[in-house]
Amino acid sequence: MRTIFHLDLDAFFVSVERILDPSLKGKPVIVGGDPKYGRGVVAACSYEARVYGLHSAMPIRTAYKLCPHGIYIHGSHGEYSRFSKAVKNILLQYAPIVQQASIDEFYMDFTGCRNVYGSLFAFASFLQKEIWERLSLPCSIGIGSNKTIAKIGSDCMKPNGITYILSGMEKEFLAPMPVEAIPGVGKVTLQDFHSKGIYRIGDITKLPQDYFAAAYGKYGIDIYRKACGEGNEYLIVDNYEQKSISHERTFADVTSKQFLKEKLFKLTGKVCQELRDMDWLASNVHIKLRYSDFNTLTRSRMIKPTDDDKAVFDVAWNMLVKALTRRVAVRLIGVGLSKFSKFSEQQELFEWEEIKRRRMLRAVTKIRDKFGYESLMFGSVDHDKRSLTMVNPFRVKT
Amino acid sequence: MLKYFIGTAGWSYKDWVPSFYPKQQTSKFDWLQFYSHYFNCVEVNSTYYAYLSPKIVEGWVKKVADSDEFIFHVKIHQDFTHKRKFDEQSIKAVRYNLDILGNAERLGGLLIQFPYSFPYNNSATQYIQELKDIFPNYKSFVEVRHSSWQNEKAFEFFKENDLTFCTIDQPQIGQAIPFKPIITNDRAYIRFHGRNVEAWKKSINSFGKEQSYDERSERYKYLYSPGELVEIEQKIKSIQSKVKELYVIMNNHPQGDAVANAFELIHLLEEKDKVEMPGTIIKAYPRLEELLVN
Repeated sequence: MRTIFHLDLDAFFVSVERILDPSLKGKPVIVGGDPKYGRGVVAACSYEARVYGLHSAMPIRTAYKLCPHGIYIHGSHGEYSRFSKAVKNILLQYAPIVQQASIDEFYMDFTGCRNVYGSLFAFASFLQKEIWERLSLPCSIGIGSNKTIAKIGSDCMKPNGITYILSGMEKEFLAPMPVEAIPGVGKVTLQDFHSKGIYRIGDITKLPQDYFAAAYGKYGIDIYRKACGEGNEYLIVDNYEQKSISHERTFADVTSKQFLKEKLFKLTGKVCQELRDMDWLASNVHIKLRYSDFNTLTRSRMIKPTDDDKAVFDVAWNMLVKALTRRVAVRLIGVGLSKFSKFSEQQELFEWEEIKRRRMLRAVTKIRDKFGYESLMFGSVDHDKRSLTMVNPFRVKT
Repeated sequence: MLKYFIGTAGWSYKDWVPSFYPKQQTSKFDWLQFYSHYFNCVEVNSTYYAYLSPKIVEGWVKKVADSDEFIFHVKIHQDFTHKRKFDEQSIKAVRYNLDILGNAERLGGLLIQFPYSFPYNNSATQYIQELKDIFPNYKSFVEVRHSSWQNEKAFEFFKENDLTFCTIDQPQIGQAIPFKPIITNDRAYIRFHGRNVEAWKKSINSFGKEQSYDERSERYKYLYSPGELVEIEQKIKSIQSKVKELYVIMNNHPQGDAVANAFELIHLLEEKDKVEMPGTIIKAYPRLEELLVN
């Protein structure tokens, strides 16, 4: 039996913004862009803003309608990763193994540490206090026998909560929760569940597992196991701070290649922007393709280190076209970058055209950091008139 | 027991009014006296530009009389480091002032700061050794800015000669030395120059030219963010068990940024929940209010 902690920093981006500007305390704060410019989404919002029904991933426009008196800020991403690293450094002092799952989430394996740290509940509260005192960041902790249950645990007593799910009690603990509490159940799956009358996690476990396997394939088995309180017990660790940057989108089944091309174009733009924000170059591009029957495949290719949208898109689209061999609708596509190296300004290594493009991309990154990702978009020149939506209204004619 | 000394590079900056020194000052108000009420050390930079009259130095000693632990680090004149042309007279002048502070138990040490254009090689180490022989009885902190110094042989040289290898944080351009504490004796001396990359690049081109105060100090205009400070805190704490004295000097002086960051580092490094600060700094840097003693 293992003991896994999941530590989730409460409204992390907002907490950091409040360190930078304490006058934001106690106010509804939304990180993710200015509703006047952006069509972006809420990256994080304070608990004061959640009272108005705001939540992360909600379009900024919707958020603004619900909470017009909120304080909308773009966010200081460099600062978030600094604090995230600082949290990790603190955790590494106590936990034998730490896996960073995202910028504000960490798994720790404390199996066999009871003799060292005594009561795990008291120890979790000590960790909370330590992070609060050192960094002024609030967090919630879930303790369970596997990663999934620990994550669901940390989520259910936010903010500043600690939830300890005793081994053997997982199924009972989960049963009354809504199905969307299971990590990996997104909007599309949720609609599907609702249409079948599945609302609570208990509704899933009442059904036979075979039914799930037949309806949702491997993915279904995975959800079913999670609903029963089972999950991955082992942490993934390696020496790299961040292994890859990727984005994916789930659709209600799509067959149009043109549509996929546009989506891939957008996803590529996002990953490249993140890459440039980190000042990195990537030398590996990978794609992910999931058919409507949940068959999933991935492809990857090495390239010359780059942070250029165009170079990445060309490779990614090429791989996607080759991978699209079945006549089955597509449910999800994703694109990612890995094998990073640091961007350096040794420009003499590059051709003049390349230097010009690099400068342009850096400028684009700066503008987006200031005015939001969607303030400046790349256009793809395509003969298909339907893709006119991709034309950039800000593009200057030359 | 480790002792922290956290302060700024210089105290006499007009643009610290009103962000640190109050706007309304009586004729008796003295900047150094005010400064020494809040900090336990300062780095003197005016000694780099001029050989000061001993009277001035004696004046400092009197002004910090109320602060028991207060010490001065003295930066050596540029004749010794940048021009590398000096005579018996200049050696005497430096020694005389150092001894005034030393006899009053107010001397921290001697800061010997070489420019970026002073890379590691045999003649460089020989030169440093020569300086050490001229000023043998003072704690010496040597700052080199070229990354060629980042090698074991160089560190060995520092250890053998009981020299402190200054750790510096500076904009990362070209072969600039990155922030990485190196311990060569039982002291650490850490200087923060800010991370203003653009202005720093500009200043490289105007080296040696006549410049106004504003032009000269522009490259130091930088306020470290809370995240950067936390990062710095964790790095410094990783070496604190290896030294007995730890000096932290903020050189990002324009407009008082150095003072604000120094207070924040006192809070982080000395693990003080609350720090004694004047109201002026809170007004200029609202994020410090959290640390204020009520």
